[in-house]
Amino acid sequence: MEEEKKIEILFPEFCNLAGDSSNMRYLRKCMPKAEFIETSFDEEMTFTKENVDLIYLGPMTESRQEKVIEKLKPYTDTIKQKIKENVTFLFTGNALEIMGKYIENEDGSRIEGLGIFDIYSKRDMLNRHNSLFKGLFEDIEIVGFKSQFSMSYGNNENCYFAKVEHGIGMNPKSQLEGIYDHHFIGTYVIGPILILNPLFTKRVIEMMGVDTPYLAFAQETMDAYKQRLKEIH
Amino acid sequence: MKKNLRFYVAFYLAKLARWTLKVLKRNASYFPGKLAITICPDFLGRIDKPKTIIGVTGTNGKTTVCNILEEALRKNGYELIDNHLGSNVNSGIASSLIEEADNRGRQKKEIAVFELDERSAVKIYPYLVPTYLVCTNLFRDSLRRNAHTEFIFNILNKSIPKETKLILNGDDLLVSNLAKENERVYFGIGRLETDEDTCHNIVQDISICPNCSSKLEWEFVRYNHIGRAHCSKCDFCSPQIDYEVTQIDFEQKNMTIRNNGIEETYDIMNDNIINIYNVLTVISVLKELGMTKEQIEKGLEGQKIVDTRYSEEMINGIKVVTHLAKGLNPIACSRVFDYVRKQPGNKAVIMILDNLHDAATSSENTAWQYDTDYEFLNDDSIKQILIAGARYLDGLVRLEIADVDKDKIIAKRKELELVQDLDLEGIDKVFILHDLHSTELRDRIKEQVREKIEKERK
Repeated sequence: MEEEKKIEILFPEFCNLAGDSSNMRYLRKCMPKAEFIETSFDEEMTFTKENVDLIYLGPMTESRQEKVIEKLKPYTDTIKQKIKENVTFLFTGNALEIMGKYIENEDGSRIEGLGIFDIYSKRDMLNRHNSLFKGLFEDIEIVGFKSQFSMSYGNNENCYFAKVEHGIGMNPKSQLEGIYDHHFIGTYVIGPILILNPLFTKRVIEMMGVDTPYLAFAQETMDAYKQRLKEIH
Repeated sequence: MKKNLRFYVAFYLAKLARWTLKVLKRNASYFPGKLAITICPDFLGRIDKPKTIIGVTGTNGKTTVCNILEEALRKNGYELIDNHLGSNVNSGIASSLIEEADNRGRQKKEIAVFELDERSAVKIYPYLVPTYLVCTNLFRDSLRRNAHTEFIFNILNKSIPKETKLILNGDDLLVSNLAKENERVYFGIGRLETDEDTCHNIVQDISICPNCSSKLEWEFVRYNHIGRAHCSKCDFCSPQIDYEVTQIDFEQKNMTIRNNGIEETYDIMNDNIINIYNVLTVISVLKELGMTKEQIEKGLEGQKIVDTRYSEEMINGIKVVTHLAKGLNPIACSRVFDYVRKQPGNKAVIMILDNLHDAATSSENTAWQYDTDYEFLNDDSIKQILIAGARYLDGLVRLEIADVDKDKIIAKRKELELVQDLDLEGIDKVFILHDLHSTELRDRIKEQVREKIEKERK
């Protein structure tokens, strides 16, 4: 039942780069009866004390990444447990990096991550990567953009989010994008991904246990999606 | 830095390139400088420079500020070097200096006004030390190039020379914290009736204290992170303003500025808050240069915002306004949308904001649309919104997510097919909002609007 669903948006006051906070604006329109909880950085996180159905974390600046790691670190085991319990996670942009072993600066210094996935990231603040993305998530084609300073490395062969059809994966040499483990989805693809990919949005809502997902502006989002599919090749 | 052989080779080849381009009637505002820097990487450091250099940087407003400032200085008899026809990166600055230098590389003019790209700071400031550096604001800009405000802030913060006196927007909490060791003055606008207690924009790039991560308490929010605030726990706060607008009279089109306890009144040129900031910025610079009120008034007299950015014309009782709304730049577009909704009367809004280069060669990254307050277009006074371009389907989705009534929206691929669906019934103003590179389309659309009005409103 949609009205029973609870969605927690972590630190929306700064984890909101690249227009990605609109992932949740759109989800609110698709799930008008669900409860959306916006947790500020100085507040206690809801998922640490009660069940939620989706945890969303958006892209942030490099300095904020470090603050967010500090904040989440004491709850690493809780997050691991939630993933095992099939709670849906959507981490977009560089939010994914927080879940890895470490983030490395250009000077070799490292910021320890939560270490939940077997990946690590490297920053290159002098070279920003920009590209279009098309890839296959299960049977759904995903479209979107990449615009980032950092890349991730490591083994995601058994837990990738999408197989690249155009663009790059977690790094320029990888054809596998992001992480998909149980219902944890972490991807560098921005867009916002839920608005650009209505079929994927439907799947995410299904992951939360909604049998008949509703898509707001279904026709319009599908038309835009089909157009972009044609353009990215 | 002294001139060496490499410098002279670069200088004379650049001079020759400039002369050749001029003969061929080609733009010479970038390549000569690029050539010189390629041959002599520290060329900017070696070429003679004027005694006084005023740099203008920041996300939005720098071109307008430079245009007004240069005109004001010239009206007061100054001869100056500028880069207003060219590029605002290191090659553009070098081109301007090459153009003005005599055959031995010496400068005759004593003052320069340079628009300086904030992203290029690391390539400019090691070689060119501005006497004054103005920073208008720091906002999200092109995601692909400028990433986020922290990235740009860090670039500026690390690059600004210690000798430079800063003239900063004190209403911008990012800007006001730049290069804290430098001598500085702040300009700002005191609380206005239209200001709010909380932010109503999608984006607010400083909402928690950069020192202790506690919540900021806002004395007022004008838009995004423009306003005045202090940290709820530590001593981080907005600065004391040196050049402060204490009153704006929109009817008389003037503003009162207080500096050192003395109040002076100046014309505002245009009633859009972003342009009031631009004029205030110019006045602050002129004051820092030691100009009197009379000199400043003389400098500003008769000036207006250039037509490529803003124009208005009454056509048979309907005001047709063209307004630059830089695509990819969320705050610039949000400011324009806010301005449009607050204008009196019923309005129709035509939007051509797509990046034409991407439209021709690729698929535009449209993420910026979701940092932009399209919600401001969801206003009873806006009766129709017409969007066109390669991203018209994305524009339609964005407007619907902003809860704009679908019946109000016309979305088409071809820009020149929009006006046929413009409904002038009950409309007082037609706004044509366009990207920086869509001026030709803008002019053609304006002509179509003119024809339609002349036909339907006799």
